[in-house]
Amino acid sequence: MNGTRISPNGLRMAALLLFIAIYTAYAAGPFVWVAMMSLRTTTEIAADPYALPWPLHFDKFVSAWTDSNYDAYFFNSVGIVLTAVVILTVIGGMAAHCFARYRFRFKGLIYFIIFSTIIFPPQVTVIGLFQIMVDYGLYNSRIGLVLVYVSIQLPITIYILESFFARIPGDLFDAARIDGYSEWEIFWKISLPVALPAISTTVILNTILLWNEFLYAVVLITDDDKRTLPLGVLRFMGDQLEDVGMIATGLMIAIVPVVLIYVFFSERLIQGMTAGAVK
Amino acid sequence: MAVVELTDICKSYEGSGDLAVRDVNIRVEDAEFMVLLGPSGCGKSTTLRMIAGLESITSGTLSIDDEQMNGIPARNRDIAMVFQSYALYPHMSVRDNLGFGLKRRQTDRAVVKRRVEEVAASIGLTDYLERKPHALSGGQRQRVALGRAIARDPKVFLFDEPLSNLDAALRVSTRAELVRLHQKLSATMIYVTHDQVEAMTMGDRVCIMQNGEVAQIGKPMEVYLNPANTFVAAFLGNPPMNLMDATAGEGAVAVGDARITRAGISPGRKLTFGIRPEDLTPVDRPGDGILSGRVTSIEPLGAETLIHVDRGAHAPLIVRGGRLTAARLDETIHLAATPDMIRLFDAGTGRALEGTAQ
Repeated sequence: MNGTRISPNGLRMAALLLFIAIYTAYAAGPFVWVAMMSLRTTTEIAADPYALPWPLHFDKFVSAWTDSNYDAYFFNSVGIVLTAVVILTVIGGMAAHCFARYRFRFKGLIYFIIFSTIIFPPQVTVIGLFQIMVDYGLYNSRIGLVLVYVSIQLPITIYILESFFARIPGDLFDAARIDGYSEWEIFWKISLPVALPAISTTVILNTILLWNEFLYAVVLITDDDKRTLPLGVLRFMGDQLEDVGMIATGLMIAIVPVVLIYVFFSERLIQGMTAGAVK
Repeated sequence: MAVVELTDICKSYEGSGDLAVRDVNIRVEDAEFMVLLGPSGCGKSTTLRMIAGLESITSGTLSIDDEQMNGIPARNRDIAMVFQSYALYPHMSVRDNLGFGLKRRQTDRAVVKRRVEEVAASIGLTDYLERKPHALSGGQRQRVALGRAIARDPKVFLFDEPLSNLDAALRVSTRAELVRLHQKLSATMIYVTHDQVEAMTMGDRVCIMQNGEVAQIGKPMEVYLNPANTFVAAFLGNPPMNLMDATAGEGAVAVGDARITRAGISPGRKLTFGIRPEDLTPVDRPGDGILSGRVTSIEPLGAETLIHVDRGAHAPLIVRGGRLTAARLDETIHLAATPDMIRLFDAGTGRALEGTAQ
């Protein structure tokens, strides 16, 4: 008789599993749907939007890559995002090191000015930014987009790194000073390596955010050859009709690298975000 | 060969008018082990950090071997420092920690490698060279910190309370190790601590600091026996020196009801009478003693017994007795003081009276 009764614990577990299942379906559902559509033609999708992908049209990926300029978009994205992330890490790291380690005049004011930029939504600044880019001949250029990406992500990068650098004991820097190292060398040999968990957090965070960035890219880049992956979908959207199947394929090409980065580095990301929270 | 000399050193922090360190004059001789001793906030660590070049010097002169060091950055002073927190580089192995300072000065990798291995062997860490600091025990970390200083073979060693994070047993053995190290290297060492046992056992000389000023400099027994003022008298010794109000009379000093013969002090002068707990001896007859009071507690410590004596309106006393004591709780005890060990201080300034010291 006991065997057929469900214990309160079991009931609680079942409820939890149900909740997790619903949440997973809610969160992952759209992604799975796009993934399925990416392997189906637009005609098939129009006939039955939710059907399983059969036969699998892997050739759509080849066609997007070769015929629809996705190879160019992909390498643009890689180049722009990588450059921006490298610059962000170095400049953000240096700024964070200074904010965390040194006392200097107007430190509070400078910190405030840097952070005040994040309160404006991008829609507010994008028009002014467009004009500035035109004035400086940076409109419709990859270098211009890199500079914009660096400037929009810099405050949050400094913020994350500064709070981590501030937790590194000052004695370490004093020890390195006495060991004969200059401030510049201390930054490279002590600050950066010790702060590696925080550095990787900002690298992953910036890579994902910039890889998916659409608004600034669509406003500041017009040439098809300079477009990044998120803009690739524009190619399949006409005034009269949309090639839904190809849009899904393009999206998958854009999403897969980010998912891979997250799968491989998520542990590190969480480590960096919670570092020092326990101790 | 390294003589460290501080002349009229002052330190004040920005935004604060007060001096954290005031007119400090210390000359540390070559191969001397000098201990800076004092309660927290007395300026001893700040003084050490100024010698290291980690804090700027507001005024005064710091010289090492007659070369002025005021403006010279820490990295060019040829000193090594052991920190309270050890400050080991967490991302480097023991080998890299030991060699980090050396690599800066010595480009020949083979020489660095040999030196690191020599030092590791001398501090018993050869088997741990490839480990990271987090995989070491507290005592091992402490030795790495020490080894990092030794590896550089600097002119001057600075220690900032290096033993305070160790447990009691390890502290005693490391203390002995440091003394041996000093004898072996015969290097100039400056050691900051608030622990008087460390100061007494390790220092060639002790510099006691109070409120940013030097209260007294001298050999450990010298400052223990002849404190320059009531602060040193009360700070050194555990339990500290007994201090009581006293007044000078004609050829004698009155301490409460007791009178101690002492000529040459102008009558009426307010004094502080000091006697160490071990220089008070219980006596049987009231006439043999100079002080008496009621025993309020007896603390047997094994080798000795501490007897707390209440003297009514006067300051209570502590007496250090032998292993066995005749004192009984709540009974009256009569105490005699070793005449040579009585110290008198001016009640106003707290300074020791000339001629009362032996």
